[in-house]
Amino acid sequence: MEHWIDFAKGPLFALTFMIMLLGLLRLVVIQVYSLLTGKGRRLRNAPWRKILGEAASWIVPVKHLIPGTKIFSIVSFTFHIGIILVPLFLADHIVLWERWLGINLPQIGYGLADFLTLFTIACIIVLFGFRILSPRLRAMSMRSDYVLLLLVFLPFASGFLASHPTYNPLPWDVMMLTHLLSAELLFVVIPFTKLAHIVLFFFDRISGLHWQLRPGAGDRVAEALYGEEARV
Amino acid sequence: MTDRTRVTKDILWALALAGLVAAILRLWFGLGATTALSDAVPWGLWKILNMVGGVALSTSGFTVGFLVYVLRIERFKPFMKPAILIAFLGYGCSCLALLFDIGLPHRFWHPIVMWNINSFLFEVFWCVMLYFTVTAIELAPLFLEKLKAAKAVRFLHRIAVGVVIIGISLSSLHHSSLGSLFLVTPQRLHPLWYTPWLPLLFIVSAMGAGLMVVVLIRILWARWYDPTSVFGLPAARRPSVTAVSNGGSVSPYDRGPEGPQFPAIRSMASIAGSILAVYAGLKLLDLLLYGGWTSLMAGTWESWLFLGELALTALIPAVLMAIPRVRRSPAGVAIAAGSAALGLAMNRLSVGIFGYFHDIGAIYFPSLVEWAVALGVVAAAGLVLFWVGEHFPVFGERPPVSRSTAGLFQLSYGSLRQLWKTALTNSLHRVTYVAVFIIPVAFILMYPPYRADSSPADPIRPARGVDIERTVLEIDGDHGGVMTRFAHAEHQQRLGDSASCVFCHHVCLPGDKSTPCSRCHRRMNQATCIFEHDFHTRAVAEKEELGGIHPENHSCMHCHGESGLESPTTARSCLDCHKEDMYPMQAASQAEDLMHAISFREAMHRTCVACHERSMLVFNRPDLSECRTCHQSLQPRQPQESTMAHRGGEGLGPM
Repeated sequence: MEHWIDFAKGPLFALTFMIMLLGLLRLVVIQVYSLLTGKGRRLRNAPWRKILGEAASWIVPVKHLIPGTKIFSIVSFTFHIGIILVPLFLADHIVLWERWLGINLPQIGYGLADFLTLFTIACIIVLFGFRILSPRLRAMSMRSDYVLLLLVFLPFASGFLASHPTYNPLPWDVMMLTHLLSAELLFVVIPFTKLAHIVLFFFDRISGLHWQLRPGAGDRVAEALYGEEARV
Repeated sequence: MTDRTRVTKDILWALALAGLVAAILRLWFGLGATTALSDAVPWGLWKILNMVGGVALSTSGFTVGFLVYVLRIERFKPFMKPAILIAFLGYGCSCLALLFDIGLPHRFWHPIVMWNINSFLFEVFWCVMLYFTVTAIELAPLFLEKLKAAKAVRFLHRIAVGVVIIGISLSSLHHSSLGSLFLVTPQRLHPLWYTPWLPLLFIVSAMGAGLMVVVLIRILWARWYDPTSVFGLPAARRPSVTAVSNGGSVSPYDRGPEGPQFPAIRSMASIAGSILAVYAGLKLLDLLLYGGWTSLMAGTWESWLFLGELALTALIPAVLMAIPRVRRSPAGVAIAAGSAALGLAMNRLSVGIFGYFHDIGAIYFPSLVEWAVALGVVAAAGLVLFWVGEHFPVFGERPPVSRSTAGLFQLSYGSLRQLWKTALTNSLHRVTYVAVFIIPVAFILMYPPYRADSSPADPIRPARGVDIERTVLEIDGDHGGVMTRFAHAEHQQRLGDSASCVFCHHVCLPGDKSTPCSRCHRRMNQATCIFEHDFHTRAVAEKEELGGIHPENHSCMHCHGESGLESPTTARSCLDCHKEDMYPMQAASQAEDLMHAISFREAMHRTCVACHERSMLVFNRPDLSECRTCHQSLQPRQPQESTMAHRGGEGLGPM
């Protein structure tokens, strides 16, 4: 088992992490490339101030709460706090960054990390519950939405159990290996699913430029979809 | 563009990207850490497969040029552009691979200004360089026409014949010289391949196989982009098509009405077949004349290799081309051509690697980096071939019309199927997907420190004492058979007896005073981790009487403290515990990193050269800092030794 853990911590970690970085880089490059080649002229006249302002306001989306989905929105926002802070700044992870990237990050204390981990797990459970119980959300959800939530849940839960031997029903190394492998699976999945919003978020507001429709475009879409008599 | 070309291109991209990663690692870590080359086996895959083999396979430019411009065979004119393109790319990727093979790539231009007129390599260098330029000039009109530089194109057309003639003479010079390279070392090369006729055999086989390569690529191109031109009408085409795609499982005797281009291809393949038949005759005659016959009858693996390679290069293509029914089928011709190309590559590998190192007992198997670079440059050349063929009128009057690709904005994450549908129709998406997976995989597989972790790649041979007192040591760290004699006692005496141990034995194992260099510097080209973590966790638990096993017994905290951070930076200094038993302490306490020992090569050079450079000034002995002071093999050879006498493993490299 020790060998497997070493392998998962070593080459496999480097491999999956590189796949994630390159995959995300690929998305950024394609975005920038397509903006420059396809929308070059429009970029020059783009309302940058408005776009950046909107992007900033969406980072903390207090303004964008829609009545009726408030709890879901708030939970899905706060869910991101733990999901960003714990993987990056947990003491045990800092060692990994130092070993592979040679950077020293500050660490958050174990108490805070434990709290954030449990909080994130709770958020995942709430979100999952909403997607199952609320008819509106269930209608909007695809199979991948449930699977991705589970994929995020696994490393958090296994990581918490591995670091708290008292609550851990399984041997430490089994739990550790689960933690490592599930996190690595997540790395590979990120660039190819909607988890890619890690980087694509920053292009979201610019995508308005992609979708500026010509006058009368709606009629043409309807025509293409439903035949000539269709009205929008 | 069919799905098959797409997949072919994806594979080429994967190989080329892996080659790129390998090339960067080679430049970053050096030859020793990334390749299986050594002093005993200095010529590996890159020189033999890419240079000697690759150049031989790209003779097309000169042979087709000879047929078209000197013999005036008009019907071969459509082959001229593909042939030149293949020659250009072949030479280009050979030179590129060689760039990674030479020790200091940034000095590749040295033979241009520093002439060593006694070397065959000097001639080869100049010919290859000039011929590469010639192919570039011959190819230039293609691009200039697109740029509408009419004047330049007219000028190039006027000098075309002259350029072709220069190209032909350069080619005939260096193709034979590549064979002459191996004449220099008669004792090294296996008698089956060693013959004074090597230059002749090299050029004849290269001419035949070079033509076959043009034939093969022409047929493949037709298969991909323009089947009717070679394979005839669609209905009649099917049987022979499958034969090409599954490498000949369908009998090549099926035939339908052939395309308009095929007769010219067939007659070119016939010419190549006859040249290869001549080559086979020469080879057999040579066996009889120079006594290779006995080695062939010996039944060793070399004799089987020789037979197989001769069959592939010459016998199979010549026989296939002699059968009328095979000759009339594109698939049959393609098989003959493929066999010849494969056989030629095998032949050069036999001469340069399999037959060349038979006497020293060293087993050479190229490292992953070598394979990746060797195949990567070829794949890159293939991609350039695709690109040029698709955008310029090389294989036909006008380039094949490429179908429009799906737009960039069709990115959709709705479902995996949708995702792949978009990805698979857009070449940018395909290439980037390939890159995202191939680059990390290639990196992990080839990054030298990872490889070293799993197996000691280049273990050191410890220094041996010539006498029982170890007054003189023989150092041959890399098993190369070239000894460096180190007068141990003499150095000790000169530097001040027992007080001087510390100068070289700077850090010793606990309890030891003169740990040998090879104990810590365990690998020739790479650093070694010398800190045994498991041993220490056990020892700490034992000494501190901790119950339970690691990590439950909290032995981690003993060295790493209670912060929970377990990394080399949080660990306590070794000397905290080993104050008493690590000798000599001063050097150990000054060492920045007691966890890693630098490579043996670096350790030796730093220790010896640094001291020699200081002493050089003190004692006014400039020779002390020269390489040959220690490396005896670099000392000028005695007159009687400079004859062709072979010196076994002790000699210099092959060149």
